[in-house]
Amino acid sequence: MDHHAKADLRNFIKTTLTSRGDDSDVTDSDSLFISGRLDSLSMMTLIVYLEKSFRIDFAEVDFEVGLIDSVNEIASFVDAHLAR
Amino acid sequence: MNEGNEAITGAGPQKRAAAGTPPDRPTLRSILAIDEREHLVAFAQTSRGKLLIVTVFTGLLMTGQGAAWWQSLLIGAAAAACAYVPRYRALTVFVATFALLFHALWFPLNGIDAAMRQEHVDVLSARTFACIAVVVYTFTAWGALTLVRRHKTLLIARRPVIALLLIEAALCGLVCMPVVHGLPRVLLWSYLTVFTANIWFFSYALVDQRSRERSPVLFQLGLFHPFWGSTATPWGKGAAFLRKTLAKTPAELAVTQLKAIKLLTWSCVLLDLTSGLAWVCVSWLHIPNLESVQAAQFRHHPYPLPVAWASLILDTTFDALWLAVWGHRAIAVARLAGFRLPRNTWRPLESRTLAEFWNRYYYYFKELLVEFFFLPTFLRTFRNHPRLRVFFSTFMAAGVGNALYHFIRDISLVATIGLSATIESFTSYLFYCAVLATGIGLSQARSSAGPRLPSTFSGRFGAFLWIWTFVVCLHVFGNETRFYTLDQRLSFMASLVGVN
Repeated sequence: MDHHAKADLRNFIKTTLTSRGDDSDVTDSDSLFISGRLDSLSMMTLIVYLEKSFRIDFAEVDFEVGLIDSVNEIASFVDAHLAR
Repeated sequence: MNEGNEAITGAGPQKRAAAGTPPDRPTLRSILAIDEREHLVAFAQTSRGKLLIVTVFTGLLMTGQGAAWWQSLLIGAAAAACAYVPRYRALTVFVATFALLFHALWFPLNGIDAAMRQEHVDVLSARTFACIAVVVYTFTAWGALTLVRRHKTLLIARRPVIALLLIEAALCGLVCMPVVHGLPRVLLWSYLTVFTANIWFFSYALVDQRSRERSPVLFQLGLFHPFWGSTATPWGKGAAFLRKTLAKTPAELAVTQLKAIKLLTWSCVLLDLTSGLAWVCVSWLHIPNLESVQAAQFRHHPYPLPVAWASLILDTTFDALWLAVWGHRAIAVARLAGFRLPRNTWRPLESRTLAEFWNRYYYYFKELLVEFFFLPTFLRTFRNHPRLRVFFSTFMAAGVGNALYHFIRDISLVATIGLSATIESFTSYLFYCAVLATGIGLSQARSSAGPRLPSTFSGRFGAFLWIWTFVVCLHVFGNETRFYTLDQRLSFMASLVGVN
């Protein structure tokens, strides 16, 4: 994932957190879902975002929330998908 | 949702003072924020602090209902060992869980009892049959986990929930077959009882086998109804979630343990509140319980409408309080053990949508349904129809998943009243699931379209009224006693709104 895409992703996460009333800082390694900062509805919007932005077909993914729990994990997941 | 991180990142009173900011007027919340006071966090990391935390916590456990003093002592000691002796964490969890399990078999033995009576088998007690089944089940679960690690292409490795549901159905079919009778049927019922009680715990363990950092089998088995407590729903989910939420530094551990004490105290307060409410409403105001009100209605001697509504609201309130009390207690113990778990119930009265209510009311049940029903549907269906995709996935979780969960949980009814009567007694709960799923599905689909949530007092009060009216009315059908049919409950609901 290039810097531009990662910046977009950070922006998306930040906007999602803000829409849930969470204005505190988030680092690239912060847990998003397991910590409870984002809920299942936010997970849906993130999945749709990743489907559209990176053409990921999640039906082919052995999905677990740990794959997309932080910005870094999302970036690694996308990189692994694009490298296929 | 999780207040586990707030204390670590948030500015506590001392941080504000150190920064030269004038201290705010103390509020109850700031007074209770012991986990934000640096000197307390530092003290909690000393030997005396650790001893004090464990002692206070265990003392609080003993004041609550439900556990003998030695059980509280065992739970407190096990949690402390998990936190302070991480090398033996897996062994500690396993030993504590199984010690409590063999002392007080928490799963229903009525299915085994019924099978023993029907088959005239009395060579052993139902409890002994259950203990044998636990031992056999533990070895088979151990074997299955090992098998799944080695053979990742097996159905049970790729689709663990579907595989376990198929095994459940096969076992259930087997015990209902007339060719299986006598001692083998009792043994099968015993195994089915234990298998059913652990099915969702086993699902989490199987899913974790895909992980590169998976936990040892001993730890996984120790999490099948872990020593900190649970219902048929794993409170704290599985090993993967616990690994991720484990406190990583002494400071994080101290904060987590101070939060544990706060949460357990809150649980005790809620327990006293429940007792007080029961005394005022039941002993003093003589509000009858919901079953009596329904029974009177069906005998054509109904209680006055205000009494019937009061009984319904009270029953819903008691259910919510029960969930909060025991959920807080279990999560507090897990936090003492060092796991930074989100609460099971978190301010449900503040929910602004039905979907948010579901998330706040019973977090770990919602997580189970999301993980095993919602996500698999969402990832595979209606990708080009976003709102239908959200609605259908939510319906699969809150409707189908919810119904399956409860049908399986009460599988012992098949032994006591038979399969057809069990299905018939379940129609009301099916109706409950369908209405609940439709409500949450519409709420989710609406939220995904991005309308603004109410933020004014009147808006929030309106949302509160709508959500809780829905919850209270639906309680007529979701009430888990199986005494009344759907028709009877519908007529009871109609009588509550004045239609006879």
